[in-house]
Amino acid sequence: MSPRSGTCATSGSVPPRDTRLPRQLADCATFFAVDQERRGQWLRGVLDLCVLALLHRRESYGYELAQSLDATGIGPIQGGTLYPVLLRLQRTGLVTAQWREGAAGPARKYYRITPSGADTLRRTAVDWDAFTAGVGMVLREERTR
Amino acid sequence: MNSDGWLHALTGELHRRGVDADLSRHVVAEAATHLRDSGEPPLQVFGLPANYAAAVAESVGTPRPGAGVARVAAPAGPPPAPGPVRLDVRGITKRYRRRTVLSDVDLTVRAGEIAAVVGANGAGKSTFLRICAGLLSPDSGQVRVYGKLGYCPQSGGTNDYLYPEEHFALVGAGRGLDRAEARAAGRSHAAALDWDPAGRTQARHLSGGTRQKLNLVMAALGEPDVLLLDEPYQGFDRGTYLDFWQQLWRWRADGRAIVVVTHLLNQLDRVDTVLDLTPARETSA
Repeated sequence: MSPRSGTCATSGSVPPRDTRLPRQLADCATFFAVDQERRGQWLRGVLDLCVLALLHRRESYGYELAQSLDATGIGPIQGGTLYPVLLRLQRTGLVTAQWREGAAGPARKYYRITPSGADTLRRTAVDWDAFTAGVGMVLREERTR
Repeated sequence: MNSDGWLHALTGELHRRGVDADLSRHVVAEAATHLRDSGEPPLQVFGLPANYAAAVAESVGTPRPGAGVARVAAPAGPPPAPGPVRLDVRGITKRYRRRTVLSDVDLTVRAGEIAAVVGANGAGKSTFLRICAGLLSPDSGQVRVYGKLGYCPQSGGTNDYLYPEEHFALVGAGRGLDRAEARAAGRSHAAALDWDPAGRTQARHLSGGTRQKLNLVMAALGEPDVLLLDEPYQGFDRGTYLDFWQQLWRWRADGRAIVVVTHLLNQLDRVDTVLDLTPARETSA
């Protein structure tokens, strides 16, 4: 579990119900758990897009993709989640894969985005922008009320 | 579980899920590469082998068994035409004191067929199989077996103080196999159940599930024509249970006649005959 995800600091928008410390801690723990679950749900919806976007920059292999995703702050993505997504992208023809020796190190399975994958990425990224803009607007209105 | 053990288990689970062998090799190799790169424990990275295999199978669109229900994909294509009659049971009746357990039961099983015997506890399933095996006499009726018979009891049947391979030698001797032949045959049948029977573990120290594998292997020694299996999968984990049914399909394809006692109804559409011993009403003699 990454220390930057789901800490109490992110609960700023939730007003504390009680000033007593134990109660606060309990709320915090509840929030932490919910937060993790929610992040997981968000990820399920966009992980394939994120993978496509990373592969659009350059071809890559599973472990490197996992590290890149972690570095962006999206959160640690375990292999058990990542590889099934890659298999699905491969099956639907959005990426191709090839075993190759890297510049250094052992053979790895390198993934490369296909024209169809790039097209899907472009279209869906627009949809996603519209979606998150809508969500952002609603949430901002709620906060400033 | 170390990486090698985990990867081995994954290979087995992918096979059980019917994932193509070539694809399975790629998936396992890729997981191995990832584990080497990350240096993290496999359970943390990929979770349980069975769950990861399920996720892989779903991603590649392999027809998947219903979630949580152990279902085995029956072999593709129409089953071969059944062969000659191997087991013919006519009018079996058995009473214990004044209680009628079996009343005028018939069953015919041909080569290349699986018959499932079902019924509530106490319906006489084991009694019926013991009568078919010749271990118990019916009060009336007749059992004809055409060919060699193998019988796997529900429990017991193993000798506490013998090693698994000594069991093979003992049973093999009764079926005309010398020690080496019996051991080779036993190992081969055991491998189909993902079990390595070599080693010096006395039967009493084997787990319940492994003892049942031993029982099953003994029943299969000497390539019998008729196999009578009395709930042989008790104590099997889910993976072994799937292996067991795969083995039944292979035996059926080889032309064996198989009778298997089961209370698990989800396999019943995959068998050729169902004998339901549940009494129509509570009968009294």
